[in-house]
Amino acid sequence: MDRSISIKKAVAGALVIAGLLAVPLLTNGYTQYVVNLVTVYVVLGIGLNILLGYAGQFAFANAAFMGIGAYTTAILSSQLGLPFWICIPAAGIVTAMIGSLCAVPAMRTASIYLALVTFAFAELMVWVFINWKGVTNGSNGISVPAPDLFGYVLRGDKRLYYLLLPSCLAMLWLASRILKSYVGRSFVIVRESEIVARCNGINVGRTKMVAFALSALFGGVGGALFAYTVGLVLPQSFGLFQLIIHIAIVVLGGMASLAGAVIGALLLTTLPEVLRDFQSLQEVMFGAALVMVAIFMPRGIAGALTRLGVLPREMLVRGTISPKRQPDDRNLPHPAIPVAVGGQND
Amino acid sequence: MTESILDVSSLTVRFGGLVAVDAVSLALRPGKVHGLIGPNGAGKTTLFNAITGLVPQADGKVSYDGKDITAFPAHRRSEIGIRRSFQSVQLVQSLTVLENILIGLHTQSAGKGWRGIGALFGSDGPDHAEQQMVQDVAAFLGIEHTLFKGIAELTFAEQRFVEIARAIVSRPKVLMLDEPAAGLSEAEIEKLDRLLRRLAAEWNTAILLVEHVLSLVFVVSDEITVLDNGRFVIHGDPGEVARDPRVKSAYLGEDVHA
Repeated sequence: MDRSISIKKAVAGALVIAGLLAVPLLTNGYTQYVVNLVTVYVVLGIGLNILLGYAGQFAFANAAFMGIGAYTTAILSSQLGLPFWICIPAAGIVTAMIGSLCAVPAMRTASIYLALVTFAFAELMVWVFINWKGVTNGSNGISVPAPDLFGYVLRGDKRLYYLLLPSCLAMLWLASRILKSYVGRSFVIVRESEIVARCNGINVGRTKMVAFALSALFGGVGGALFAYTVGLVLPQSFGLFQLIIHIAIVVLGGMASLAGAVIGALLLTTLPEVLRDFQSLQEVMFGAALVMVAIFMPRGIAGALTRLGVLPREMLVRGTISPKRQPDDRNLPHPAIPVAVGGQND
Repeated sequence: MTESILDVSSLTVRFGGLVAVDAVSLALRPGKVHGLIGPNGAGKTTLFNAITGLVPQADGKVSYDGKDITAFPAHRRSEIGIRRSFQSVQLVQSLTVLENILIGLHTQSAGKGWRGIGALFGSDGPDHAEQQMVQDVAAFLGIEHTLFKGIAELTFAEQRFVEIARAIVSRPKVLMLDEPAAGLSEAEIEKLDRLLRRLAAEWNTAILLVEHVLSLVFVVSDEITVLDNGRFVIHGDPGEVARDPRVKSAYLGEDVHA
């Protein structure tokens, strides 16, 4: 029985991947660019969701993390001519290191002050991008050469898609493996109550630092993918509006949900393009959607779909043991103590 | 008398000018239930918080298994085997019972550290053995049918038992329960009583029990310490304590001159 389920899962997975690989057959140059942006924003959405959704840290430095990743990639590939398979991991690692430093204020300050500190950090980074002209080329930005794989240049959006899609799927897989373990559970318990976390042997400071580093890793990789997608890294790309898009992805898609990051990225990337003819409406709808979701779907679209049974519940544990497979009278010396479940109390 | 596992000697906690706990000493022994009673504001919960490392102590010493742990932060104390429950149920509403209980196994997770990275990315998942431990403890508490439910679907009593499960799943040597019977029915308190006895007898756990339900404390405890106004009043077996005139006046509200 289990084997047939796993075969079904494998077939479904293969079909989904085949479908994703076939996407460029259906797109033109422009729609392919939008699809590419979706893959980038999935990674960025996961990054912010780790900190904001899972670990509950009101940290608003994700656009800055993205910028650091994008600039790292742009500099390494244009100045040193390094290939993408060095640039993308390097962007992730550099950003993760800077991100873990951002955890220092999180250990001292809570919620609103952390939001202010990280927001100040984000603005500072934009200032650095603009004014550190020797490295970032100021407001003129840095153009990023098309990535190449052993001489095969991935020029054009359709070819680039075959770099972005595997990267995005790999990051989703990585996030799922890391979060569905003691790591994800420690994030959530730190979000819910630091006192309970400490009384369960969890080092709250270290957990926050891991959350910041991990979040920045995804932000940095997302920034690297963004750099290849747009081909030109400009300081104003990583300002307040960028941050608002990331927050909207997490809030609309669903806090503390990987499916939420995917749904949010899909919506927030495609809808503005669909509504491009109604520029003035765009921002109104944006705001209205956020307010509606905040009121009616506190856990975002993914949360609502989970409640309706469309999406499976995302558990922070993998390979769950089915309780039915366990014989009832297993190696316990005494019968269990039944707990009254209503009814017999009166 | 068995060797004690947790020794608290002349522990003092001050909040500004207020002395919340004034040079209180007590000892917990493996396999014994130690009741801690006193009227509201007696400093029971503060003493609890000081022993678990949540509030800093002004003076005194805490030692565990012969080792001075006075300087240990809260997470280190729980890591080495001192676990507690909370007066108000503190479970994560968005997680299932299984995940909530697994949080209690954080320090033992097979996925931890550099060696755990393989388990983290392996196909089985890092929590295989841990889930077995959760199932065992859930069966022990009679809540195995709730493992895949959300917290909101549980009765209040079940939530209480899930919290106890999280506290004991790591098999701590010291278990501290802060008013576990509050809000439970008579029948449920009786189950709690049996559970505490089994924990002490079968797991050899040392239990510190703060409780207002006197019928439970006096029946289940092997020894009782009474606090009043942050000060130690008396320590002894339940019979001695119940007969003491100071306890009657301070806690049971009876007239000393009777």
